[in-house]
Parts: sequence; C-alpha cells; structure tokens
Amino acid sequence: MKVQQSVLLQATPLGDLLDLRSFTEVCHSFAELYRIGVKVFDDAGNKLVDVKIGNADFCGYLWQTADGRSQCMATVQRVKTEPLPDEPVPSTVHCFAGCRYAIQPVLYEGDVIGRIVFGPFVPDDLVALPEAITRLSPELDEKLAASYMNKIRRVPQATAEKVLKHFAEILDVLVFTGHKNLLTARLHIEAVQESYREVQEKNRQLEGAYQALKELDRLKSNFLATMSHELRTPLTSVIGYSEMMLEGLGGPLTAEQREYLQIIMDKGESLLGLITSILDISKIEAGRVKLVVSDVDVNSLMRDAVATVTPHARKKGLRVAWQPSKLPAVQCDREKVRQALINLVSNAVKFTPSGGSVTVDARSDGDDRVAISVTDTGIGIAPQNVGRVFEVFFQVDGSTTREFGGAGLGLAIVKSYVEAHAGTVKVASTPGVGTTFVLSLPVMASGPAALAVRASPTAAAG
Amino acid sequence: MAQFNEQSGELAVKIVYYGPALSGKTTNLQALYQKMDPKVRGRLMTLDTKDDRTLFFDMMPVFFKTAGGLKVKIKLYTVPGQVMHESTRRIVLQGSDAVAFVADSRKSEAAPTLAYWKDMVRNLEANGLDPRALPLVIQKNKMDLDGIRDDEFADLARSPKVPVIPAKAIQGEGVLETLGALLSLCYRDLDQALGLAKRFSLSEKEFLGSVFSRVEAR
Repeated sequence: MKVQQSVLLQATPLGDLLDLRSFTEVCHSFAELYRIGVKVFDDAGNKLVDVKIGNADFCGYLWQTADGRSQCMATVQRVKTEPLPDEPVPSTVHCFAGCRYAIQPVLYEGDVIGRIVFGPFVPDDLVALPEAITRLSPELDEKLAASYMNKIRRVPQATAEKVLKHFAEILDVLVFTGHKNLLTARLHIEAVQESYREVQEKNRQLEGAYQALKELDRLKSNFLATMSHELRTPLTSVIGYSEMMLEGLGGPLTAEQREYLQIIMDKGESLLGLITSILDISKIEAGRVKLVVSDVDVNSLMRDAVATVTPHARKKGLRVAWQPSKLPAVQCDREKVRQALINLVSNAVKFTPSGGSVTVDARSDGDDRVAISVTDTGIGIAPQNVGRVFEVFFQVDGSTTREFGGAGLGLAIVKSYVEAHAGTVKVASTPGVGTTFVLSLPVMASGPAALAVRASPTAAAG
Repeated sequence: MAQFNEQSGELAVKIVYYGPALSGKTTNLQALYQKMDPKVRGRLMTLDTKDDRTLFFDMMPVFFKTAGGLKVKIKLYTVPGQVMHESTRRIVLQGSDAVAFVADSRKSEAAPTLAYWKDMVRNLEANGLDPRALPLVIQKNKMDLDGIRDDEFADLARSPKVPVIPAKAIQGEGVLETLGALLSLCYRDLDQALGLAKRFSLSEKEFLGSVFSRVEAR
C-alpha cells in the first residue's frame, strides 16, 4: 500500500496562491492611489502583474533612440533579476534616465517566492534631467523629455519604500489565504482519493475471499456428489443380501436372526434414503438436474406418498389419510414431485407425536394451478424459524442430542424441485398445534426453469 | 528523510504531532506559536472546513539560517484526530522526519491511546517509514487532570525506548520540552545522514538554539 505524494510536500509557485484577476485589480487600485506602477514576478521571473502609470510617454520617447532602447531593456532586466536578500527589506534599482524602482521580495515561510517592483518613480531629489538622456541623441528635445518626466510621480525614496512595505504586507495576507484555500481544496481531493483507494483495496480482498469461498463451495458439492455415489453402491449390496437372506435363499433362519436381519435392512434403507437426498441436493447445487415432464395424476401422487409412510406411521400410532379429488392431470416430472410430496409427508410423520394425524389433500388453486397440502397435528415450528426451514442443512433443533434425526435436506429439496416447476411451497404453523405445507404447481408446464437451492450464507457455511 | 537541497543549502524538516482526538495536538502548536520568536516562525494555519471536519489539522513553519549558511525550514503539523480521518492522517504523515505522539495520560484514555499508537505505526509503514527507526517522543499530556496513569506507556512497546515527556499543554508546560526532545533526536538523525556538524558546522546546540531563540525572554 503506497500513498501518492501529497500537496503538503510540494512547493507551490506564487501564481497558484493568488487569484491573478482579482489581484491585478488590487494592484490597479494601488497604482491609482499612489500614482506609481506595480509589477509582481514569481521566483522564476514570470511576470504575474504589470500595471503602468504615468511613464508611458517618457519611456516611449527615450525608447525611440537605439541607445535608449538598449539601456531601458538593461534596466528592466535588472529589475527582474537583481538578487534580493531573503528578508523583508527594500532594494533600489536606478534607471539610467534618473528614475528609480523600489523592489521587495515576496517572502513566504522564510522562502523568497517572488518580488514586488514599485516604479518607475522620480526621486524628489532629482533636480535636472540626467546627462545620460542628453547624450542619447542630438535630436532629443530636452524640454519635451522634461515635460514627459513630469507626468511620472515624484516622490521621496523613503515614501516609496513605505508604500512598498505596506503593499508587501497585504500581499503576505493574500498569499497566506491563498495557500490555505489551496491546501484545503487539494487535501480534500487527496483525502477522498486516499479513502477511495483504501475502499478499493478492501473490495479486492473481499472479492478474493469470495472467489475462494465459491471455489470451496464447488469442491464441497463435487465431493458430496462423488461420495454419495460411492456410498450407495456397497449399501445396495448390504440391503440386497439382507433381503435375500430374509427370503430364505441362504437357508432357514431362526426368529431372532430374522429380526436382526430386518433391522439391518431397515437401517440400510434409511441410510440409503439419507444418501440419496445428499446426492439430490448436490446435484441441484451443481445444476445437474433435468426435469422429465409428463401428464401426472395428482391422486396417484398422493396415494403413493401416503403408502410410502404408512408402515412407519402405523408403528408410531399415527393416522395418515388422503382425500381423492377430481383434478386434471398435472404436467410435471413425476419422480421429482413424488419425491417432494414424500419428503413433506415423511416430515409430517416424523414431527407428529403418537395419536396425531397427517392429512393429504388436493384442490384447484385458481384456474391454472393445483395445490396439494400436507397437514399434521405435530409439534409445529416457532415463528422465528418458519422462514428458514427451507434452507439447506437447517434444523430447528440443531443440537447433537436432538430428538428428531435427519440431515436437514428434505425441505430444501422440496423447495428446489417445486420451484423448478415454477411452483411454490408455503408453510403455516402453530407451535404445539400443527403445521401445514402447501405445494402449488401450474397445471401446464411452462418450459424448463432453473433449479437452484437458495442456501443462506449461514446454512452454506454450516 | 528530510528534503535537502545541496545546491541552495536548504534543509526542510517535517514534524508531525500525532494522537487521538482531543489529546492536545493543536494546543501544543498554539502554545508554541505563543512562545516562539515571531522572527523564526510563520503563521499558524488551521485548516478546518466548518461543515464537516474532514480536514482538521494545523500547520506552522519555523525557519532560520545557521551561522554556516544553511537555511533550515521546519514544518510542524498536527493530524486530524477523529477516527474517520484515517486517510488524512496518512497523507499528513507522509515524508515526516519525526513524530510527537500526544497522549491523554488519564487511565480512562489508555485504550484509545493504544489504538492510535497502532494506527500511527500502521500509517507510518504505509508511508514507507520505519516506526522503530523514526525519531519519536511520547508526550504524557493532561497531567493537570485527575486519574493519571502511573506507568510510562509500557503498552506502546517499541525499542529502543521512546522518551516520555510529561506536559500540561493547556498551560504551556512541557510543550517546548517535547519539541526540544524531538528536535534533538531529529538533529542526531540528520547529522548522521547529512553530516550537519562536519559539513555545515551546525551543532545540536545551534540547531535547537535557533528554534528556541529568545523563548526564555518572552
């Protein structure tokens, strides 16, 4: 992280510290007041202000002679470049024609950053035209020259220097104010640029972290998909051979052996179910699921789902019922919707205590949709958790000692499958009274929809 | 490193007063402005933009010529203390030759003091300055208040040890001592790098004496 060089470390030329237009106005009014010309140069010799007053005729007249021209230019050069002390004291430059210039350095923070030139003025002790003028040319009219000189302000040297000192003090305030304004403006910009640079740097870091997380997420999905597949293969054999033994293919069994085998098979089946749902969710996350749409009878879906959970429900002492309806066939992927419905009904059975009931029915939902609802008299879901039950891996009771098992994938799969059909799934629940899930599907398939699991960041991180 | 112009014989030194908001940085500069000879110091410039205090810092130049003909310009800056002005602090700290860390020495201020110290170290490094090598003093300010910590800022760890100078800046006490200690460290640093004594026959005594000339009389 490198900071760019600040205005605080740079020298600023005099011209940048002054508003030259208004400063020129100040110089004009000063020149008017004292009837003396004012010039201001920066330390590089650039003329910032040049106000002439009264000397135009005199200087112009002398300028007509070649000698006068060269001597005048030499004077101007001296005025511009005469070395000055770095202290607030005036210097004097004498003009060959008898006039004078008073010069004072512009000092700021101890540095000479320019010079103020007052003049030309005629010192009050000059009594006659200097000889240098008469020597310029025999054709020069002395009277005319003298009358032109009278147009230039005649002033004692000390007075001119006093005025100059006064002017320098005013300029000092202007320079200080100008410097302050310049720093304020430039530092504002620098501070904003610096903050912007900082924010950009942080953004880059965040972007990097985000990309790393995305990559991790992709690896996780891949890993899950591969592992699920690898786990299923041996498990199928475990279940298959248990089944063969139960059927007596390996010889007669004792009642105890049969019971044990049955447990092996049951547990195997539930493990297979779990692995299948992990495979499903990882397929969904990897975007590898495609819908195979056909006309599906809603009654057969409900019958199927209820039949799947009935043995387990009976064991738990629950009543599971479904109401046949006269609804039209729905265009959907039979396997996916069946799975979604089975997940909902199994969930209902899982979270309903002994003696309760689970009801499945279907009705029209507007003109072009069918709603299938699964209602239980179970433990219900607390209001603060209702919004999160569809998240991947979310469990209302996430503790390891929880009463209800499961991987927290069932409802996430339901939501993804239903939304892939352009359908919706909603939940309404009262803790201690029961829960109703409603699947709503369009009767006509509306073309392929994207399958996605809407995992919250927290869920994804867990 | 200080800006040194061999040809013109000009040496520019930058000194920054760093510290938490309201620890007394501006008060230090105001006291110096009052105490120092107007011949060696310029105006105290306070940049504040009234509506938002985005840029709130002060600046005062000190300048003198040595007997050996060296022209020395020392610029004193304060940084804006408010937390939000991080970027301005970093800008002001750029190219500094020495830093006075002005700390509110009340026990209750220990946490922000440590946080700003770390902030300073970070910002020095961002400017390519080595916080372990840079001339640095800690001003134990606000000694006139109750609940003063009794340690010498042991938590602001750094080697070699940083001088700690007690002060009541609001009464002008310890202000000259702080700048003096800092300039003394600064002189030794510059002397080593530029050979102030050998090449320009500028002694530490003259260096400090020029800054504090006529201070006692005022």
